[in-house]
Amino acid sequence: MTADARVVRWTAVGVGIALGVLIPAFLSNFLRSLASDAAIAGLIVLSLVVLTGLVGQISFCQYSFAAIGAFTVGSLVAGHHWEFWLALLVGVCFAAAVGVLVAIPALRLSGLFLAILTIGVALFFDRFLLAPGTWDSFSGGTSSWRPGRPSFFGIGLRGEYAFYLFVFGILLVACLLVWNLRTGKTGRVLRAVRESEVAASTVGLNLTAWKLTAFGISAALAGLAGGLSAVRVGSASAGSYDFLHSVIIAAIATVVGVGAITSAPVGGMFLLFVPEIMRAWTPFSTQWFPFVTGILLIFQLVYAPDGAVVDSERRIMRRLHPPAPPPTADDTATPERVLARTST
Amino acid sequence: MVLAGVSLLPGFTVIGIVLGGIYALAAIGLVLIYRVSGVLNFAHGAVAMFSTFVAYQVSVKSGLPGWLGLIAAIAVGIGIGFIIERFTMRPLTGRPALTKVVVTIGWLLVLQTLAGRIWGQNAYHSPVRLVSKSGFRLIGTSVVVGYDQLTTVIVAVVLALATAAVLRFTTLGASMRAVADDPESARLWGISVNRVTAASWMVGSAMAAIAGVLITPLINFDTFSLTLVVIDAFTAALIGRLTSLPYAVVGAGLLGLAQTYPRAFFNTSGVSEAVTFGLLLIALAVLFRPGARKLRMA
Repeated sequence: MTADARVVRWTAVGVGIALGVLIPAFLSNFLRSLASDAAIAGLIVLSLVVLTGLVGQISFCQYSFAAIGAFTVGSLVAGHHWEFWLALLVGVCFAAAVGVLVAIPALRLSGLFLAILTIGVALFFDRFLLAPGTWDSFSGGTSSWRPGRPSFFGIGLRGEYAFYLFVFGILLVACLLVWNLRTGKTGRVLRAVRESEVAASTVGLNLTAWKLTAFGISAALAGLAGGLSAVRVGSASAGSYDFLHSVIIAAIATVVGVGAITSAPVGGMFLLFVPEIMRAWTPFSTQWFPFVTGILLIFQLVYAPDGAVVDSERRIMRRLHPPAPPPTADDTATPERVLARTST
Repeated sequence: MVLAGVSLLPGFTVIGIVLGGIYALAAIGLVLIYRVSGVLNFAHGAVAMFSTFVAYQVSVKSGLPGWLGLIAAIAVGIGIGFIIERFTMRPLTGRPALTKVVVTIGWLLVLQTLAGRIWGQNAYHSPVRLVSKSGFRLIGTSVVVGYDQLTTVIVAVVLALATAAVLRFTTLGASMRAVADDPESARLWGISVNRVTAASWMVGSAMAAIAGVLITPLINFDTFSLTLVVIDAFTAALIGRLTSLPYAVVGAGLLGLAQTYPRAFFNTSGVSEAVTFGLLLIALAVLFRPGARKLRMA
């Protein structure tokens, strides 16, 4: 990437962050709470950026991982009067552990069968684990947990704007971590695994460990989102974490593209604000939203297969920075050069 | 409680077999589509759901005879199958299998939402009646078998056998098997791969429609629960390694019984789903191990 393109990219990121901080200051409390939800949904899209974008595994159970975070926070904070932060940490670790557990059968399965497995997991959570009567001390049974909002270093997060800034900050940190992951060694390894497992294993990469790591990180991000969502809404109930939510977020992640980290905030905003736009300015109610998402998904996969955000990003980048000439004969493939090439 | 459970078993066996027959139909459609077109159709349950609601509209809401509803459902199923294949699968030829799967997920959302907007989110208990509601007592036992249950099993068996016969003995069946094995060679032999693929989607979706209509007397159906029949179909199909139709039918029977029996002993909701998940895990872990034996389609 040339210095030019880099300047443009970081300016865009800076402007985006500034707008993300400033715009909600002028919005109503209702829209601020939607913005918080969008940031939280952004974390789940980010978890798919890790899983699908980096490893090429598809998942239809991200909201089940989120449910783990939400119900851990709910039961520990509301049921056992734990400190929120500790409960959140436990929830994230628990989600990561379950993510690794799901990944174990996934290790020997190709993408298609993994997709079936994740649907199985989602339905298992929906219909069995979180159903009233199965594990009430976790799921809260027929009544739902009501965890209160925490405070952040003495600053109360009861106000919608304060809470929004808090989750927005967490989203930014998470994006930064994933960006670091992508550009660092881990990212190169995971991409190698995605492109060709055989080639990756011949250069001595431990596929098992890396796939488990990716699943763990992805589930941890989703669990984090769940924990935050529980205190955002002030309650945790199974209906908000069902299979259909997982399918819709997977569809949105695919529409905006799982190849770019910017997809996370864009995807989150899509999930929360498109239904509002539909309600306010179109004759369709918000209940048509999954329909719109489905249609977009179908059309997008037929016409812009890498996702809208990735596609437009690439178009902008191409304008700023025409593609490098193809490698010439004396450009011998040394390991350093191969790694450098795969990382761009 | 255990004793009370045991006394329920004979009756539950009947329900389990009926359920298994329905799953078998759904699984046959799924395997047919998967083998011929290479697409794992996650919208299979949604197609079944949508067609079933059309049957509900025709024969329950409009009061027309049940068989007319069934025909309408089959027609709609065939139509949806054709549209999915012709307009969203054919343009994706040569693209990764995962992309096609995600497109079927898009269809799931579309059909699910559309049905929800047309027929609402409520659960219905108004079965599409194909035969009279009465039943007969099984000789020597106290188990009553409904004529609708008997019909379901007979339809499932006949259709499974008919599919096998079509695949074995007809030109279309032979072309389907050829395309399933190797589309390139099939094309070289003068088989219109596109046409055969479309046929598989249409037949498979019709099967889904029939399965959906037949399941209506057994459950309180709503748009979501019927869409989720796809996971039962997957489990049954996976027992046949997504390849073998006979094994898929056996798997469907197993699944139907395995889902029904625990209900005699446990009152907790979701036990059937837990059992399905367990079977799914076993099927995925055991049958898809590297180097597993290849199976024949029919």
